[in-house]
Amino acid sequence: MPDYALMNQLVFEGNQAEVKSLTEGALDEGRDVKEVLEEGLIAGMKVVGEDFKRNKIFVPEVLLAARAMKAGMSVLEPLLTACDGDAQRDVIVMGTVKGDLHDIGKNLVGMMAEGAGFTVVDLGTNTSAEEFIAAVREHDALILGMSALLTTTMVYMKTVVDAVKEQGVDVSVCIGGAPVGPEFCDEIGAHGYAADAASAVQLFKRLVAARNSG
Amino acid sequence: MRPRLRFLEPVLVERIVEEAKAILSTRGVLVEGPMVARLEELGLKVDGSSGRLKMSSEFIDSGIESAPSSIELFDREGESHALLEKDRVHFVPGSSALKILDRETNEMRGPTSRDLAEYVRVADGLERISYLSTAFVPQDIPQEVADAWRLYLCLAHSKKPVVSGAFTAHGVTRMARLLSFFRSGKEELIAKPLAIFTCCPNTPLRWGVDPLQNLVECAEWGIPVEIVPVLLLGMISPATTVGALVLHTAEVLSGLALAQAVRRGTPILFGGAPAAFHMQLMTNPMTAVEALQVFCGYAQIAEHLKLPSQAYMALSDAKFNDPQAGFETGIGAFLAALSGINSVSGPGMLDYVNCFSLEKLVFDDEIVAHAQRFIRPVGIKGDLPTGELIDELVRENHLLTAEHTLEHWPEELYLPGPMVDRTNWDQWEERGKPSGRDRALEMIEEKLDEYEVDPLPDDLHGEIQGLFHDTFDGKLEMPEY
Ligand code: B12
Repeated sequence: MPDYALMNQLVFEGNQAEVKSLTEGALDEGRDVKEVLEEGLIAGMKVVGEDFKRNKIFVPEVLLAARAMKAGMSVLEPLLTACDGDAQRDVIVMGTVKGDLHDIGKNLVGMMAEGAGFTVVDLGTNTSAEEFIAAVREHDALILGMSALLTTTMVYMKTVVDAVKEQGVDVSVCIGGAPVGPEFCDEIGAHGYAADAASAVQLFKRLVAARNSG
Repeated sequence: MRPRLRFLEPVLVERIVEEAKAILSTRGVLVEGPMVARLEELGLKVDGSSGRLKMSSEFIDSGIESAPSSIELFDREGESHALLEKDRVHFVPGSSALKILDRETNEMRGPTSRDLAEYVRVADGLERISYLSTAFVPQDIPQEVADAWRLYLCLAHSKKPVVSGAFTAHGVTRMARLLSFFRSGKEELIAKPLAIFTCCPNTPLRWGVDPLQNLVECAEWGIPVEIVPVLLLGMISPATTVGALVLHTAEVLSGLALAQAVRRGTPILFGGAPAAFHMQLMTNPMTAVEALQVFCGYAQIAEHLKLPSQAYMALSDAKFNDPQAGFETGIGAFLAALSGINSVSGPGMLDYVNCFSLEKLVFDDEIVAHAQRFIRPVGIKGDLPTGELIDELVRENHLLTAEHTLEHWPEELYLPGPMVDRTNWDQWEERGKPSGRDRALEMIEEKLDEYEVDPLPDDLHGEIQGLFHDTFDGKLEMPEY
């Protein structure tokens, strides 16, 4: 039986090399991929998330832990993709909308989401509706995350939402950034808004859960 | 001598500048978009595969040399209005907020054109607000022209120069044409600048499509540019002061050198809006104590390079006009004044430059008065030797009627306006116990009543509005203001 408690602790400490080798060890022992993922990696990240919420650890520690988790994931990933669909990681396509270069917030959301086990496809800044939709299709993304920091560019979010609907793309659209809020989210018909990276991750999880149950 | 804050050893200032230049010559800056071709026409060599432009020390030095050490701003009528140089300190409202704090409901909301016109009418009458800014962005106009629209509303209601900036790649051209309506043409606009525009590099060391185009076009139109890097300490900048100053300086110098390459003599302000990165909340406080140190540090570097300076100081990250707003704005204003920053953008601003408050603006006007008074030169004023004054005090028990007092007190002892409560408790009760907010609201009404600026001639309105109509094939509905 692999020492999952130790693995959790090493994820928490951000120890990439050890997490990777313990993950390999667990597979060598013949453990199930999903079990290693859940009990070894995700359980570790859960503590990280909780401690972050309680101000016990801070952004750098969260990102270090996320990196360690990623190191473990690099081992599991090929096996996950090979097995049945629902064990594959959920994909989020993220980008800052057309005309906008602000990407600090978007990058943080992406990093935190990766830490929570999502696969993030980052389209960078100045992203058009076509680019968003193409990436969602290519990667079979469940979530499309858009960021805008300018009043000039937030209106483009509606363009993207409309295009998603028109083209019948089945994806949950989430938005964020200083000028937008929950009302704007409703107004343009997006599926969710979050005010910061931590709540963004909660939002993504909620939407994915709702998709899976619905 | 004028009170002055300098905390970097002169050798350290030089090392920071040298390191910044070394970074530019070895790493260079990333330049993007259609303006890259323009830079290449000017003989600059952009690496085809990396998109980076390395800048030699000579190129930077020649830029510093040709950038003026003094910038004169002129009003809408072409009269001289402000001189940005040496240790002359000016305060202007912070720019481009997304929201305003409604003064009736005390709640945040989206601004309208009417709000902006009202702000201009109040700000125009505030004595210590040296010139204006396009403080927030009305939402009742199509956003692709909102940058120019708010500039128009400022110039329509005040003669004072304006700090502004474009929101899109093509924004500067429209705004520059708007400015040139107040001059005989481009040449006169260059000779008599009416506005300062903000251009922001993308930290680290990247001039993206829009910022680069804005920078090049400002240089072509001779519009003074404040180069404003936004470092977030610990996130997109070294967490420590010196490292941040190196990166900040490299970014400002890269923009300066590019602007000088386009048009030598383009007025540049060594600006900035450094902030800390909050490791828990992921916010970006510009009023964080570490950020303040970076602000004051780069002011010293600007002074060393003989460049006029700009900073996003004298503002607050609080949500309301509460004690936090007072202390953050007060500290920022004093530090900016003591650092000799020539153009301090901040008054009126709350919530990480996201929200503008008129109440705060009138309050900050008083903070500015205090900061400006604090940096007046201190020297002997008939008070050294002091023996005779002391003798008189002992003889008369007071100096209230002493010749020395009569001569000096009106200059020396400042009587603040109503925003600072100097009553004693009973006096305050007698006056109906006015709160700070009551006094601010009253002050705003007073300024609105007193407001008097000649309206623009109708034909000029027509010409300017034509610029907006052109963009929408005559189909634009002008908001009321
Ligand atoms: C940093 C900054 C910059 C940097 C950006 C660097 C970068 N790589 O991103 C630089 C200096 C380059 C810059 C440039 C400009 N900027 Co700017 N900038 C800011 C500033 C100060 C902070 C933004 C930030 O990074 N905050 C920190 C991050 C962590 O917070 P955040 O972005 O809000 O993200 C969090 C949440 O919103 C959420 N979130 C974000 N995205 C998403 C997405 C999803 C899906 C979800 C669920 C959640 C989510 O989670 C994030 C993490 O917690 C803001 C003011 C402000 N306080 O917002 C102005 C601000 C947005 N900028 C402004 C302006 C005007 C500009 C310029 C036009 C200036 C100019 N004239 O050159 C240019 C724009 C160029 C362009 N075309 O984009 C204005 C906007 C005004 C308006 N009405 O639209 C602001 C409000 C400042 C001001 N008052 O002037 N800017």
